Amino acid sequence: MNTNKWTSFTNKLNRWLIYAGLILVLIFILIPVGWLLVSSLKKPSELLAYPIAFFPQVPQWNNYILVFTRQPFIQVALRTAVLAITAGTIQVFTSAMCGYAFARYRGRGNKIVFPFVVALLILPPIVTLIPQFIVYTRLHLTNTYFPWYLAALGANAYFVFMFRQFFYGFPRELEEAAEIDGCGPLRIFLQIFLPNAQPVLATAFIFALTGIWGDYLTPILYLSENKTLLAVKITTSYLDPKGMALPTVSLAANVVFMVPLVILFFLGQKYIMKGVVTSGLKG
Amino acid sequence: MSTSVSQSLSGLQARAVSRPRLTRSQRREIWFFIFSAPFLFGLIALTLFPMGYGFYTSLTNWDGLSDLNTQFIGLQNYAQALKDPNVFPAVKQTLLFMALNVPAWIIFSFALALLLNRDLKGSGLLRTLFYLPTILPAVAVVMIWKIILDRNSGLLNGLLSLLRPGTAIPWLGQYALQGLVVTMVWGGLGWGMVVFLAGLQGIPAELIESAKIDGANSWHVFRNITLPLMSPVLFFQLVMALIGSFQQLVYPLLMATPLGLGGETSVIGFTIPNGIRFFMVYTYERIRQSTYGYALALLWLLFVAIVALAALLFWSEKFWVYKGDIEEQNA
Repeated sequence: MNTNKWTSFTNKLNRWLIYAGLILVLIFILIPVGWLLVSSLKKPSELLAYPIAFFPQVPQWNNYILVFTRQPFIQVALRTAVLAITAGTIQVFTSAMCGYAFARYRGRGNKIVFPFVVALLILPPIVTLIPQFIVYTRLHLTNTYFPWYLAALGANAYFVFMFRQFFYGFPRELEEAAEIDGCGPLRIFLQIFLPNAQPVLATAFIFALTGIWGDYLTPILYLSENKTLLAVKITTSYLDPKGMALPTVSLAANVVFMVPLVILFFLGQKYIMKGVVTSGLKG
Repeated sequence: MSTSVSQSLSGLQARAVSRPRLTRSQRREIWFFIFSAPFLFGLIALTLFPMGYGFYTSLTNWDGLSDLNTQFIGLQNYAQALKDPNVFPAVKQTLLFMALNVPAWIIFSFALALLLNRDLKGSGLLRTLFYLPTILPAVAVVMIWKIILDRNSGLLNGLLSLLRPGTAIPWLGQYALQGLVVTMVWGGLGWGMVVFLAGLQGIPAELIESAKIDGANSWHVFRNITLPLMSPVLFFQLVMALIGSFQQLVYPLLMATPLGLGGETSVIGFTIPNGIRFFMVYTYERIRQSTYGYALALLWLLFVAIVALAALLFWSEKFWVYKGDIEEQNA
């Protein structure tokens, strides 16, 4: 009896301690984002004030208008979105194809090639990015969007792996029945495997979009100012007509830059968590 | 024996659909290469060829301008790298960053996953919120932390000043390495948490239940069940984090520019604080100065280091990573 009370007390205490820990983490996670939001409503003088000014005296909503008027924000955002959606779609499709190949066609070729998928998973992208830049410089493909589309055609090892793990668990009978009905491999992939891969398709698509939208290094290496993408654009200065820097408008631009990703994340959240759990890491 | 029987059987089938020359397994082999063509293209044209070409370039003094002045200089770039006074500090900072960032990230995200791996009210919402920073692009993450870490107007020094007025710690200057680690742990916590949670959910609940019935306390369960069963996930995270540490470039580049000023100027106009001038950052500086031959030699040295580290890690796997039947069930 007594020990029961004691354990229920320690259980409760445990529970409270866990909540306390989680709330601390939550504060650590959320305060920086909140600080960005608050700071984006300040005047530049308030942002750089010493000693610190925690809140703006009058919220400068105008900063969010200046985001669009002091730079061709919408134009660059559209350009980035079009690239992200087209290249992202291609990459998801090519990766699904390869994932299907590695999951279902398990012959000698597969045994030879698959280790390279694993190797590319581990190899940091930077090791290939800079040599690619050298090659593209030689081919005069810099300042075009070819590097993005070629990368999309070349699939993505991480997505390939995700699709492979997912397709691996598909029942074999499905395929065999279709084969007996006279379905060719292409139709089996397009009509049976692809439509049933929604969680991985969604996860890969969101990752691809997020990756291209947020990428800073590739556009800064390849593209000149007038063709560049949003991640680079918002790091170049916002200036007022007199040429003075508007750092708080830059902050507001970062907020606007983030919003589509946050929306996308909340829309695809349940898929992302599932996609990671079902296929992301086993192996 | 049995394979030849099945081959001739499938050969019969193949003849039945009037494709006389290929067996079923041969046709499947062809389909494998058709379906995996994109990956093969990526592997050969976008990875192996550029790396090979990069290696060739590293043996020349190509400066990106004219091929007339370009000469084959053998291993001179590599010899120069060993003598370059910038290289050793850059390697040292990279290793320091690794030593701070990897344990901090793994321990915090593992601890967070352990806290969340139980029936708690609101744990779904918490997971989502904790994951949020992971989806933010590097540009935004750095901007968020720049206005916190700024020496004069940053939130951190502002809060510290409430306790000790006039605190002005240069988190983006002298302590840029520490500032960067905090930034990166913040940005990576959600990803680490999700992967660890996925691993934890693969541990059968009955195993822990029966251990508890046998009188094991939480520490015993953690030490003897959770930790060994999580060792494959820990290994995976460790490999990715250690190797990822080598490639740190974008965060230091962005952190080095003063508030409100452009990113493109970061390399040309502003010096990157020594604390975060990693090997890759230095390599990138040389790319930007168009000393391509030399920069690619540096990159190839980095690649060799990565391969060596990976080999070491995979060799060490057998000593500490659990490979029991539970893992096989999952695989």
